Amino acid sequence: MISLWEVEIKKEYTVERILLENNISRRLEALGINEGTPIVALTRKRSGAMIVKIRGTRLALGRHITSNIEVKEVIAV
Amino acid sequence: MREHANGFHVAFVGNPNCGKTTLFNAITGSKLKVANWPGVTVEKKEGTVEFENEKLILIDTPGIYSLSTYTIEEKVTRNCVLDDDIEVIVNVVDASNLERNLYLTLQLLELGKPIVMALNMMDVIEERGMEIDLHRLPEMLCDIPIVPVSAIKKRGLDILLHAIIHHKEAVTLGQVFSYSEELEDKISKLEVIMAAKYPNHSSARWHSIKLLEDDEEVSEEHPVDVSRIVDRSYSRQIIQAKYGYVEEVIRECLFNKSSKEARTDKIDAVLTHPLFGVPCFLIIMALVFLLTFTLGDWIKGFLEIFLEWFQGVVGNLLTFLNAAEWLKGLIVDGIIAGVGGILTFLPNIIILFIALAILEDSGYMSRVAYVMDGIMSKLGLSGKAFLPMVLGFGCTVPAVMATRALETPKDRRRTMLVTPFMSCSARLPIYVLFSGLFFGKFAALVSFSMYVLGILIALLTAFITNLLDREKGKNNLLIELPEYKRPNLRSIRVYVWNKVKDYLTKAGTTIFIASIVVWFALNIGPKGFVNEPVESFAAYLARFIAPVLKPCGLNMWEVVVALFAGVSAKEVVVTSFTVLFSDAVNNMSLLESIQAVYPSFGGANALSLMVFCLLYTPCLATIATIKKESESLKFTIFAMIFQVATAFAFSALVYNIARLYI
Repeated sequence: MISLWEVEIKKEYTVERILLENNISRRLEALGINEGTPIVALTRKRSGAMIVKIRGTRLALGRHITSNIEVKEVIAV
Repeated sequence: MREHANGFHVAFVGNPNCGKTTLFNAITGSKLKVANWPGVTVEKKEGTVEFENEKLILIDTPGIYSLSTYTIEEKVTRNCVLDDDIEVIVNVVDASNLERNLYLTLQLLELGKPIVMALNMMDVIEERGMEIDLHRLPEMLCDIPIVPVSAIKKRGLDILLHAIIHHKEAVTLGQVFSYSEELEDKISKLEVIMAAKYPNHSSARWHSIKLLEDDEEVSEEHPVDVSRIVDRSYSRQIIQAKYGYVEEVIRECLFNKSSKEARTDKIDAVLTHPLFGVPCFLIIMALVFLLTFTLGDWIKGFLEIFLEWFQGVVGNLLTFLNAAEWLKGLIVDGIIAGVGGILTFLPNIIILFIALAILEDSGYMSRVAYVMDGIMSKLGLSGKAFLPMVLGFGCTVPAVMATRALETPKDRRRTMLVTPFMSCSARLPIYVLFSGLFFGKFAALVSFSMYVLGILIALLTAFITNLLDREKGKNNLLIELPEYKRPNLRSIRVYVWNKVKDYLTKAGTTIFIASIVVWFALNIGPKGFVNEPVESFAAYLARFIAPVLKPCGLNMWEVVVALFAGVSAKEVVVTSFTVLFSDAVNNMSLLESIQAVYPSFGGANALSLMVFCLLYTPCLATIATIKKESESLKFTIFAMIFQVATAFAFSALVYNIARLYI
């Protein structure tokens, strides 16, 4: 398991755990970032902000958020 | 069901940027601002429409992702939805983004109120070759009516209104799908408790679910002891169950999901590139302003010729009519020079707003938040705080209101403090006038530099407030990036026309009155009408204050009068100046008349004046908005003093440096 911030760009992962303060994690969950949701990173800046694609939507996420979401690589069968 | 003599209430509710306001405008004929980024609407707005002999009061609400209450907009919308007066909820859904939008739909369905779904952006769906099973979809959503519409193309509106009227009495089943056995067990127990305590409650299931989510507001409003059942927050399980059901709906109802990949990713590869993102943004903004000044000034030239001619004609006419000399002065040098002078800046203003409208409508605004996030996070703010700042180029009032999208009150105040430094369109005439008078072919560059200076000082202020702040906030940037789209001509027209109308209204009211007041203040002294403004009341007072501005090279009583008058609206600085120095009766240009009085007034003084106007206390409307949004008089007064001090310091600095070179 790695943090979202460390993923390879344009590769599919699934969300494993959200390790954020309650109010932020509730917001992310409401936006559809839940356990098992597929997530693809589109670009990443050195500052740690990223653009990700989730449930057909693009979201820009700041460093604090990207470094506290754990993801798992999807292994092609 | 209650009867309303003046119509029944319908609330438009949906995710941010799903087109609620566009639909609202299309139905009611309103001209509310729409753009392509999440969070344009921050307040609820009402409009009415008559259809099939019924009067409907439509309410447009700020977009929300869920019925929890983390931001101000969410609270506004949630309170509106829960209000008993609302008889029908129109859930506006972006069909091209069905999966995420349906999550809110499920929450609304649990309320048990009559709901009609407006499936918006059907044109986008068709364009992408996607298909939605419109028979299966309502089956899976409590059989609510689902009306495909296209707000932009105004399709399906009558069918939607018809559905609203015919379903206002329909009771939607509060249960869309079942949660796990454990949760359902708890929900039914809570429903029993709720029903016992609040027998007439309309949405017991929703409230029970909210109690399970440990929702603060619901437990405060309905204090029931449920600690035995709600031993912890079940919020995560509830959200996941909803999304689980949404996935099921999507599997059964949405086809050809990704048959055509949007162009958006290709555009984003350049505009949000880790390295080129910031330079792209700077180039775009530079283009906007250079266009505003070069093209705008060129058109402005023609209007000025016309104005001069008009002043001459009216002057001659008044002479011919034997009008009193003072009346002729008031009309020609007071009103026409003042208000007319302001109108000649219209081309600049229109170009600026067209450019801003295109930026906002294309979908680029959200990207600005991402692109600027790196710089902003060094200043302790998230990239989202940059959006109000960009809006500040247009007008500071809506920009200050846009700070509502920020998460914490502290971030809001810090953004409110710096936003007025972003040069608004009312300050534009000041730069255009003075750089035109004193800097010749470098005029556009000098005007543009004011904008750059404004941004730098805003960032510097944010940096300093961040240094002083002991509890550093974390970088919680979270914003949706919509698909890019070709800017819609109608949206741009509405946007620009609204701004032009505001400007004209301001010219006709605030500026008009201010010109007259300034003229009288300058022409009446202790002994009645005076021959020279120097003997007027205004001059006496202003001469007293003027020496304070000596370090800035602005120790002239006329400047003091103009700056004070400029607090009513920044354009008034220009009108006051023209009223003070305009001597059309004697055929002198503004520059000649200024230098006739102050031979040493040159480029350095003009530059200093522009800097002062850029930074000092914003207009009354902005001050009132800051007071309203910060809910603190202390903060508002602090902000005002801070801005005057900054203006003084920087214009003194600029003046003394400029004097060495000019």
